[in-house]
Amino acid sequence: MIQLTHISKAFGRNQVLNDINLNVTKGEVVVILGPSGSGKTTLLRCVNYLEKPSDGEITIGDFSMNCRQARKKEIHQLRQKTAMVFQQYNLFRHKTALENVMEGLLIVKKLPKEEAKKRSIALLEKVGLGTKLDSYPSQLSGGQQQRVGIARALALEPEVILFDEPTSALDPELVGEVLAVIRKIAKEGITMIVVTHEMGFARDVANHVVFMDGGVIVEEGTPTELFNHPKEERTKQFLKRITPELNYSI
Amino acid sequence: MKLDPSFIWTAFVQILGAIPTTLYITIVSVLVGFVIGTCVALIRMYKVPLLYPLAVGYVTFIRGTPMLTHLLLIYFGLPVLVDGVSSTLGWSFSSASIPMIGFAYISFSITAGAYMSEVVRAGLLAVDRGQLEAAHSVGMTTPQALRRIVFPQALAASLPNLSNSVIGMLHGSTLAFTVSVVDINAKAQIVASTNWKFFEAYLAAAFIFWGLTLLIERMTSLIEKRMNLYNRGGVA
Repeated sequence: MIQLTHISKAFGRNQVLNDINLNVTKGEVVVILGPSGSGKTTLLRCVNYLEKPSDGEITIGDFSMNCRQARKKEIHQLRQKTAMVFQQYNLFRHKTALENVMEGLLIVKKLPKEEAKKRSIALLEKVGLGTKLDSYPSQLSGGQQQRVGIARALALEPEVILFDEPTSALDPELVGEVLAVIRKIAKEGITMIVVTHEMGFARDVANHVVFMDGGVIVEEGTPTELFNHPKEERTKQFLKRITPELNYSI
Repeated sequence: MKLDPSFIWTAFVQILGAIPTTLYITIVSVLVGFVIGTCVALIRMYKVPLLYPLAVGYVTFIRGTPMLTHLLLIYFGLPVLVDGVSSTLGWSFSSASIPMIGFAYISFSITAGAYMSEVVRAGLLAVDRGQLEAAHSVGMTTPQALRRIVFPQALAASLPNLSNSVIGMLHGSTLAFTVSVVDINAKAQIVASTNWKFFEAYLAAAFIFWGLTLLIERMTSLIEKRMNLYNRGGVA
């Protein structure tokens, strides 16, 4: 359903993404792994056009755009088909949790206020924040803020939700609550692309795992294939470093 | 010379009548200046071609010259310009029909615009880039994102500086007396010139200015409290 073809991105002379091709089918959970600087976040941001790809084509359903000659209207359409959950949450700081979720519904989807409110409350209850409707982001914990961020993304009913290291900024004890919410919505068949360092989560929830390094996709496959039988040397090295064997003594 | 306390009161009452003039000048120049300043700040931030060097030139020239100079340049320059344009186009409009306070409005708005562009710019810079990205990510266009997400936060962040600008313009408006506008200060002079009790009259004017400034500060802090509800404050 989502196709990225020949996506490239360079910051000046620094080639961050090099001819990336990726297919995501409907309802699939794709996890992108890779060392920092491998371009995984940049790739994700390209899908939402927060980063302008230097080249390539993005297709979502029957919508398709060429990134070389992107028009404003196309970028706007693309963004309506995608939603992003940010590492730093990026909730609208001057709006309450409820207003954060309602904003897109009112301004972009142009829903009537009552309807937007009803849907937003339902979503916030779903992520377990039914009692925090009127709290400002500064009054919420990191985990709660991120769950509002997820509700905000869900509200738009996008074709795909992009998660950019959604738990990296959280205290370890708050990671669980956010992952639980992501897991729950994954089960509902929402298509998502997740950049994460949570290997356990990738193993459990992903249908498809992509390993990136140096701006290219090194290897991809099902979690079992990639975690248990990696083919590429680079993948093996990375997995070894991420999940070290317990061979030391105290 | 002896201080005449009762004349302070007499002058005070008479000067009160000039408050509206001072307030008009302040409010007009601050509002127009805010609009100019916002445009200039956006032009500078987005580096709009052609307009960018103009905006930079405007800010450096105006901030590099005194407010009194702006007033005099407008007062003597604008009529030449207006009459020139008017005669070439065959209009009957003449610069003589511009009221004196009009020169003050125009020149002080230009002054305020340059200073406020920096205030607005600082406010916009205080808003995290992620806020704009989040707005884009939910599908807002850039104008929608600026209006709904960035500007309200920028305004809240620049409120202390804006209140400084308003106070600065309130006090600066006294320069209008040079083009025969009767503001608080000019009125004090007029009141005193009948009996030469200048000190008493200016003292009364000072109290009025002080009172107005306190009012502005009070209002700002009320607005600040309302607008910054979402904030737990910075380091303070």
